[in-house]
Amino acid sequence: MKFTLSWLQDYVDISLSATELAAGLTMAGLEVDSVDETGADLDQLVIARVAAVEGHPDADRLHVCEVDDGEDRRQIVCGAANVHAGMITVLARPGAVLPGGLKIKSSKLRGVKSDGMLCSAAELGLEDGSDGILDLDRDLSVGTPAASALGLVDTLIEVDLTPNRADCASVIGIAREAAALTNTSLRSPAVSDLSFSGQAPFTVKIADYDLCRRYCACIIRGVKVGPSPWWLKKRLLSVGLRPINNVVDITNFVMLECGQPMHAFDFNRLSGTEIEVRSAREGEKIKTLDGREHDLTPETLVVADAGGAVAVAGVMGGEATQVDAATGDILLESACFSAVSVRRTARRLNLGTDSSYRFERGVDPGATAHALARAAELVVKMGAGEIEGAVDVQGKAAKPLKLLFRPHRCNKLLGTSLSGEEIMAMLSAIELGCRLIDTETLEVTVPTFRVDIEREIDLVEEVARLVGYDHLPESLPRVTLAPAIESPDRVFRLKAAAAMVEIGLSEVINYSFVSSSHRRLLGYGESPDEFVRLKNPLAEEQSVMRTTILPGLIENLNHNLNRQAPGLMIFEVGKVFHPRGGRDRQPRENTRISAIIAGRRNSGAPVIHFGREKVDLYDVTGVVSAFISRMGYRIDAFTVAEDLPFASGTVAVSVNGVRIGACGELSPGVTREFGVKQAAWFIDLDLDMLMGIKREDKIFFPLPKFPAVYRDIAIVLSEAVPVAELMASLEKGGGNLLESAELFDVYKGDKVEAGTKSVAVRLVFRSAGSTLKDKQINKAMNKILAEIARDLGGKLRES
Amino acid sequence: MDEAITTLRDEALVALDACGDIDGLEAFRIKYLGRNGAVSGLMRSLPGLAPEARPAFGRDANKLKQEIEAAFTARRENLAVNAAADRGGVDITIPGRCLPGGHSHPVSQVSLEICDTFAAMGFDIAEGPDVETDFYNFEALNIPSHHPARDMHDTFYVSDSTLLRTHTSPMQIRAMEARRPPLRMIAPGKVYRCDSDVTHTPMFHQVEGFLVDEDVSFADLKGVLSLFIARVFSVDTAIRFRPSYFPFTEPSAEVDIACVICGGKGCRVCKHTGWIEILGAGMIDPEVFRSVGYDPEEVSGFAFGIGAERIAMLKYGIDDIRLFYENDHRFLSQF
Ligand SMILES: [Zn+2]
Repeated sequence: MKFTLSWLQDYVDISLSATELAAGLTMAGLEVDSVDETGADLDQLVIARVAAVEGHPDADRLHVCEVDDGEDRRQIVCGAANVHAGMITVLARPGAVLPGGLKIKSSKLRGVKSDGMLCSAAELGLEDGSDGILDLDRDLSVGTPAASALGLVDTLIEVDLTPNRADCASVIGIAREAAALTNTSLRSPAVSDLSFSGQAPFTVKIADYDLCRRYCACIIRGVKVGPSPWWLKKRLLSVGLRPINNVVDITNFVMLECGQPMHAFDFNRLSGTEIEVRSAREGEKIKTLDGREHDLTPETLVVADAGGAVAVAGVMGGEATQVDAATGDILLESACFSAVSVRRTARRLNLGTDSSYRFERGVDPGATAHALARAAELVVKMGAGEIEGAVDVQGKAAKPLKLLFRPHRCNKLLGTSLSGEEIMAMLSAIELGCRLIDTETLEVTVPTFRVDIEREIDLVEEVARLVGYDHLPESLPRVTLAPAIESPDRVFRLKAAAAMVEIGLSEVINYSFVSSSHRRLLGYGESPDEFVRLKNPLAEEQSVMRTTILPGLIENLNHNLNRQAPGLMIFEVGKVFHPRGGRDRQPRENTRISAIIAGRRNSGAPVIHFGREKVDLYDVTGVVSAFISRMGYRIDAFTVAEDLPFASGTVAVSVNGVRIGACGELSPGVTREFGVKQAAWFIDLDLDMLMGIKREDKIFFPLPKFPAVYRDIAIVLSEAVPVAELMASLEKGGGNLLESAELFDVYKGDKVEAGTKSVAVRLVFRSAGSTLKDKQINKAMNKILAEIARDLGGKLRES
Repeated sequence: MDEAITTLRDEALVALDACGDIDGLEAFRIKYLGRNGAVSGLMRSLPGLAPEARPAFGRDANKLKQEIEAAFTARRENLAVNAAADRGGVDITIPGRCLPGGHSHPVSQVSLEICDTFAAMGFDIAEGPDVETDFYNFEALNIPSHHPARDMHDTFYVSDSTLLRTHTSPMQIRAMEARRPPLRMIAPGKVYRCDSDVTHTPMFHQVEGFLVDEDVSFADLKGVLSLFIARVFSVDTAIRFRPSYFPFTEPSAEVDIACVICGGKGCRVCKHTGWIEILGAGMIDPEVFRSVGYDPEEVSGFAFGIGAERIAMLKYGIDDIRLFYENDHRFLSQF
């Protein structure tokens, strides 16, 4: 909602500066979005009179004008079609700078000297496009600075209206709040009542009072349609509305002033003598004022004549019955259409207007006739016609609502201790009538313009607003002590993220919606049912809910590699979404933790110590092992898994025999699809599944009392035997005495037989009850070697 | 100070500076700090002084001893390091050997800080689904279809009755349906609006909070939120509450803090008002209580919603919200 300070001052005397007023309105719940001084950039322009106009000798469209600027007579070449002798307009003299930055100079146009420029509204920055130069009132005095003469020096204030304050979608509504704020009173323009008893040459029928509560209209005969006087144009221009003609401008002015949308029909273009407000018929069409054709359905409320729909009720009028230069008689409409109906229609037709904006929020049903009278009076005052009969049709007349209000309840909710009298005084300031019923209760009469006040609690808010939120007391709640319960899923997820950060990965967050191509890029087949799809995505890249976190991470990798990151270790914990079937069923939401590792190992660490080596598979399995261990589980030995479609080597990750995910290398074909031209490794684990696995309780083992004995051995065995099997065999053979076995080398090459490898292990022996003797260890060693020979065909390497 | 002392001090410090190696240093030690050195010599001259001058002289001589000893130690360490470096040994200016840790996302950090603040006040923490029903996201929160307030929520729809939640307020309803008062809970999570520019991303993070009990007042809401702001920003951050509108609260409020960029003087960021909006709040509307079967005459409560990105932007001076979702490591590693 935009208004200017000077317009506001038509209805209330403001003693505050614009900034103070803005702060006051904001604190009263009318959040001021901007305060702009206008007209300051127009101070070099003057009011001038066109004394004479002649044709340009060498150009048909140009005119050579003699212009009186109060000091001199200047010759000015002008291309506007509407320039004529005697016209009062705005002159930019050489040296002046127009709001768009254009500097005016003396120049020659087609050989004729032009000593300045006559300006249009567009050139003054008042509107986007203009048909000609400004044609101003004759009584403006020539030579005065244009900005002040035209009242363009003003302050434009824009309020970001919350949907409940329909009453403030008008300058008078804002003025009422400003008056309460400054303890002054509101001056509403005096309007004499329309006589609705006179014979009107038409009738009005409302099909359903739920959809149209009230419809007032009058006929004005002998209308002279033409440009509006400057004061009216200025009001509209000052808030960014383009003047059209005097009749349309008045309907817009009254809408801005009172908040009541209005419409003017060319009466002679209406067929029949009955106006009907009804639902559109199936197949009915209308071409609206903006030139668009609409197919209507019975959900749309229309204003119709004998020939069909002539306006989309509360949204926009039809082109066929619009007021233009040829119009002689008009039918002026002021109605109260249903908020829900107008909103539904505006949505469906994708047609939001100043009128629908107000109806959607609620228009005062008590002021329908008043607004019509105001508009009709302005038309007549402009000498543009005579009223002939008016009609006011309504269902149940709007009556001010009476609400019971308990001051003690209000005090309880606000933490205040206001007396009934104090509350009454405050509410009265915004025209809410108060009467004391008994010591505990007030009866509050709510004027019809406050469509948002329907309940006692709404009045409590008014009291809070009027006291000022900053003046309300502050305290802390008294509550029953109780342990706080935290969602276990969240605790687990936070722990998982913290574990990854400790291991050295950085956390990323990607959008939950992704491109539907992601699954295909990962090598999965196309299947539209796989996704939870958005009905109204912002872009294809954000059109389906993700079913895997990995593509987002690969995109992040690409983003960072393109910015010369030497290496990257990132992870994300988040949900993926799987449809459950059935359009309206909520999807299954599964929390996963996924990671991408690529480029230089430990890329943030000093190269001097850590080198520039690239990561390999063991970096990834290492992260997985560390992660599972930090989460309090023991990981099973890694196994080779069937390849996932996007991986060129897949390692299954299991805990307690339950497969919870995988890690491995992304296949080069997939990374290339995302623009990544180097090797990358992934981890993808189901966190919900991990959480479902029972964690082993921690049990303390006493610290050893006796020293350990170390034996380093190298075993030669077939290349095909995984190290994990050797370790298992060692454990089996070593029995109680073998505390641990530490792998320290794996050798393949010409120092061992082809097809074999040498695995070097440090064995740690220890007894809980005594210091081990050589004899005991040798016995254990022999058992181990026998075990390895039998199970794996391995033998001690001869050095 | 006695002249003998000052002279010795100047002489000793110059000599110390001139020591180029460990040998020179040892000679210095013997000459000045040794048992028969110059400083001890000063002490021995004490009995020769007038009795009244002795205490001051003794004190000053002692001070001098300490000063020279300290300078000597510093010089010795300095020489040791240089000597080691000269021999190709330890250069302590080479970076140490340490693996960098990872970084938690700034939005996660801020969300956690917000949640911790309320958890410390005894609020439960609950989470709900990202894909919500129209009922929980709107209807039960007093936002029927065709309510103009739906314009405040540019909603992504999955079907006619399911959508991406536009706030985490549905948890209010889910919690109140499941339990009876007293209730105090916060609900952090991702929320979605179809809006994208420098200050809006189509997904962002919100922490919804509410408290329901007998006799909860607007004053309590002010108290709790003031505590929150004091903790997340600082105790001297100026706060203001001003009226606003949300269909599920009445009275509704918006909370501003003094602009963190200009300190309240007015700048571009705060649109020259000196204030920056950081959260919305209010007393839970009686209609919301009715929708979950609570009697609004019996219980009252407040609710608030905090945007994690907004808090992070203000705390760290981040001027483009989209940076949070680009996941550039140069951005992430700053937090
Ligand atoms: Zn500022």
